[in-house]
This record gives sequence, C-alpha cells and structure tokens, in this order.
Amino acid sequence: MSASLAPECNEVKERYDNCFLKWYSEKYLRGTATTDDCQGLFKQYETCLSKVLKEKGIDNMLKEAREDNRENDAEHLRPVRSLGVFAQDIHSLVQKR
Amino acid sequence: MKIFQQSTEFDYSWEEVSTSNWVKYGPWNEKTPHVIAVDTLSRTVDPATGILRTERLITCRQSTPKWINSILGGQDTSLVYETSYVDPKAKTVTLCSMNMTWSDLLNVRETCVYRPSSSAPHAKTTFQQRAEITALCGGWQKIKNSIEQFTVERFQQNAARGREGFEMVLQRAREVFAEQRDIIQLQQKSKILQEARL
Repeated sequence: MSASLAPECNEVKERYDNCFLKWYSEKYLRGTATTDDCQGLFKQYETCLSKVLKEKGIDNMLKEAREDNRENDAEHLRPVRSLGVFAQDIHSLVQKR
Repeated sequence: MKIFQQSTEFDYSWEEVSTSNWVKYGPWNEKTPHVIAVDTLSRTVDPATGILRTERLITCRQSTPKWINSILGGQDTSLVYETSYVDPKAKTVTLCSMNMTWSDLLNVRETCVYRPSSSAPHAKTTFQQRAEITALCGGWQKIKNSIEQFTVERFQQNAARGREGFEMVLQRAREVFAEQRDIIQLQQKSKILQEARL
C-alpha cells in the first residue's frame, strides 16, 4: 500500500486500504456488495487526513480542482451503454424496418 | 495545446487489472519511486448506476529540470487530483486526473480507461491513455511551446516505465492471490488446521 502524505495517518490509512481492497475484490466486483464495510475506518482516516490538508492549505486547492472536475462527473457518472445493449438496439431497429 | 495518446494491452483479466489499479503505486511497483503518497479523499457508490466514484490526491516528488522550475516557481512536491469511475456492469475503469500544482501556469488533463480487450475479453485488458497539455503562462509563445513539449516528452518516457511498473504489480498480485487460495484450500482439507482455527 502507498503511504499517506500525512505520516501520522499511515496506520489508519493502511487498515482502511486493506479493508477496501478486500471489499472491492470479494464483494463489489462480484455484485454482492450491499453495504460499505469500511465506512468506520474511512471516517477515522478522513478525520486524520482532513486536519493535515487544512494545515497545509491543500483543502482550498482541492475546492478549485473539484470545480474543474464537474464535467468529468457529468460524463462518467452515468451508465456506459455496453456494446451488447447497443447491438440489441440495432437489432430491434433493423427488425422494425 | 499538445496531446499525448497511447494504448497498450495487459495479459490479465479486467477484474485483476481493476483490483491492482488500487495498489499501482505501492511497494510492489519499483518503477514509480516519484510517487510519494496516495490518499483517498472520498469514495461513494452511485445508487442508481452502481458506479464506484473515488477521489484521490497523489503526491509526487518534483523531477522537472531547473529551467522549468525557475520559470514556474520551485517546489519539491507536486499534487495531482484524480477522480475515478468504476462501472462494474460495463467493465470499465476511467481515471481522470489534473495537476493541482502550477495550475495557473500549466494545465495537464489526463484520462485513462481500462476495459476488457476485444480480442480476449476474459484474459486481456486494454489500457488507453490521453493527455492534453496547455501552458497558460503569459509571455513568449516560445517558452509556452517548450514547456508543453517537455511535458509531452515526459509523458512518453513515463509511458513505458508505467507499463513495466504496473506489470510488476499485476504479477505479484496474481502470486499473492494464488498463495491465499492455497492456504484456504489447505485449511479446508486439513483436520488439524480446521481444529486449530476453532
């Protein structure tokens, strides 16, 4: 696992990263995730990290980056139409004609 | 503005690649020592689409030559803001990143996509990378061009190294998963180990 930019958060970050990786590979990718198993650990990590981001003034830089990123959210946060669905659409169009 | 584009293929399934993507800059990767830290800022699953959205902050050691450093202002680390979107149904991982350091002077926007390869969707994964580089600093066009050109060349140099490094991570991850599977199998077969677990 990679380190945190705040050394004091390394320990809780590692526990969170391990938890996430397990959840991602064993539940999320298999479509069986119903809850976020790592929420408690993330909250602890976030509390630690946000303090340091504020101290270093990075939180303000992040605000700007988030503004700039809106178009990416708009583009990628909607479901990508898979080629399979697309092929079905074409098929039904052809049939209609 | 200058554009850098490339695509390549990994001999690993999309599931393996998308999992290892989260540990891409960890200790298994010996080719990216300039990445000092990777922090997760937020993570949510969109209830309507099932898309996993993650915000990360990537801290890198600055490795620009002195002439650029003196134009843009010297700093020893640079920060990159990345948002990623995993669509488990369409099987895509899309990573969008931008520079936070020097953002008034240089705008680098990169989009990378991992998706199952059309030639072997269950065994191979395609990686597509595209970066747009725009120098914003006022003044001579010549300086802007040089900065853009240098950044594009850096992308080219890093592309091969990035592939090699990720390949190391993928290989190591496969070994570790196989070891874990063996241990679980052993536990299930061995009476002594089963009792020891109780």
